[in-house]
Amino acid sequence: MKTRIYSIFFALGLLMVCFISVQRVAATLGEPAGSIESDRKALSTVKRGVKVRNSYTVYEIYSEANSVREYVSSLGIVFGIAWNGLVYPDITQLLGSYAGEYQKALQQTLRQKGSRHLRVQSPGVIVEQWGHMRSLQGRAYAPALIPSGVSVDEIK
Amino acid sequence: MKSNKILFLLFVLLVLPGCGGGGGGGSSSSSGGGSSQTTNVLPLTVNGSTCDSSLIASSGGYINDPCVSVTVCTPGSSTCVTINSILLDTGSYGLRIFKQALGSVSLTQVTSSSGSPLAECVQYADNTSDWGPVQIARVSLGNEPAVQVPIQVIDATFATIPSSCGPPIYTPDTKPSDEGFNGILGVGPFIYDCGAICVTSSVGQYYSCSGSTCTSTVVSLASQVQNPVASFPTDNNGVIVQLPGVAAGGTTSLTGSILFGIGTQSNNSLSGATAYPLDQNGNFITIFNGVSFNEASNPNSGSFTDSGSNGLFFPSPSMSTPDAGELPDCAGVYSFWFCPPSTTNFSATIAGASGSPTKSVSFQIGNFISLINSPNYVFSDIGGNVSGTFDWGLPFYLGRNVYIGFEKESSLGTGQYIAY
Repeated sequence: MKTRIYSIFFALGLLMVCFISVQRVAATLGEPAGSIESDRKALSTVKRGVKVRNSYTVYEIYSEANSVREYVSSLGIVFGIAWNGLVYPDITQLLGSYAGEYQKALQQTLRQKGSRHLRVQSPGVIVEQWGHMRSLQGRAYAPALIPSGVSVDEIK
Repeated sequence: MKSNKILFLLFVLLVLPGCGGGGGGGSSSSSGGGSSQTTNVLPLTVNGSTCDSSLIASSGGYINDPCVSVTVCTPGSSTCVTINSILLDTGSYGLRIFKQALGSVSLTQVTSSSGSPLAECVQYADNTSDWGPVQIARVSLGNEPAVQVPIQVIDATFATIPSSCGPPIYTPDTKPSDEGFNGILGVGPFIYDCGAICVTSSVGQYYSCSGSTCTSTVVSLASQVQNPVASFPTDNNGVIVQLPGVAAGGTTSLTGSILFGIGTQSNNSLSGATAYPLDQNGNFITIFNGVSFNEASNPNSGSFTDSGSNGLFFPSPSMSTPDAGELPDCAGVYSFWFCPPSTTNFSATIAGASGSPTKSVSFQIGNFISLINSPNYVFSDIGGNVSGTFDWGLPFYLGRNVYIGFEKESSLGTGQYIAY
């Protein structure tokens, strides 16, 4: 019951979002979408579109620097983030409470010369990157938050 | 279908030089060096004589390291230095050289529109970065005429490194002995390393540094770090990477060439190669193991080729696909390389960004740990697991001529292709 009411409220919120140009990055891994003013310097980021697929919603925040796509479960929690563009988004901000765990795992990840990609795995969060100049790509997700029936490869 | 093919053929004819469309024409009137056919040839080795073996060793054993030598001079003077172990990189654009490698050769600082020194942060997909000032150098590549272009001087100590380039997330390149190279020669299909977007938007790639404070800034095309080959008076529309083949198991070093220009001299025609158009990000399509890596259908899925990647990198076949289980990861610290029990044959299809043309490519993947326990440093059969897309790294260049066709200067963002 509560979930249904929340869903209706959320859906209304989505409708409002469709027609409003929001000058802020929506959210942070593991947090409710749109509930955190996580990036005030995002004057150039614009919430561009909302797509609904299966048991989750994808929000795209587009700027000239990059495009960031946030995967939000039906409970309104961000379980995955994907990005691509000229420069990386601020990963520390996007990972929120997972940033510390990521940084620790990053320090322990062996970098090999010539391997132009990265996978950083820790219990709570996995971050993967690939691509080349002008086309840097990546994604981050919290495995425990992925809705059942959703494949990791849908985070793109 | 048929009309699309005809349109495509017309497109290919128009963009290929020497076929009546682009610059260069069909005759080989080259400048400087007379009728020599070697004005446009630069020696290229993989872990060979153009590499500094001490850098390969000090960096922990850099395998599949494609090296060239470049000569860098102070603009307007004959004070020059010839630098080897410059990484030949088709996945980036522009020349970058460690400050230490320049020695006493001073360069001219480029300023931002506010008059402060211009610097740049380049991020790589492994969270390394290059930070440093943009300076004008006079650059000679082989026997081509010297050209004056902005280059990036890699210097992690310049001003204050921004958070987009430094700890805790990014590890800036600090010295040649750590990184295994003295610099990077980016000869990918774009002329400017950022391009049109950085002219009007301050995205966090270029910085204006007043004293030690650096602020993200816009930058004109002329001031951006750019592909020196595109500035040559002729032979400026692309490059050809020519390396011999390597049998499974590898070899210690390899000697080949990089040619400047496509269809501009008698030694650089397309001959039997087929051109595959690239999209606006320099990507094409690869179909492997039943999966299509196509940026048009998935923004994080564009396939590409990159001589600075030292293996073939792609998602390991999952359990539901035809090649399931054939490419287990290596154990321990080498876990992002593949360790099949024995060398295994595969094939994939490469397609132009719009879907055509298409051609199958065969490749092999061997057991990485066995291979690096040999005395060899150059391998055609190493690969590794990466999410997202198919990166045709250095093994793709072994035993085939790979052409990188640049975007057209007159209409940036169009005309780029690879051919093989």
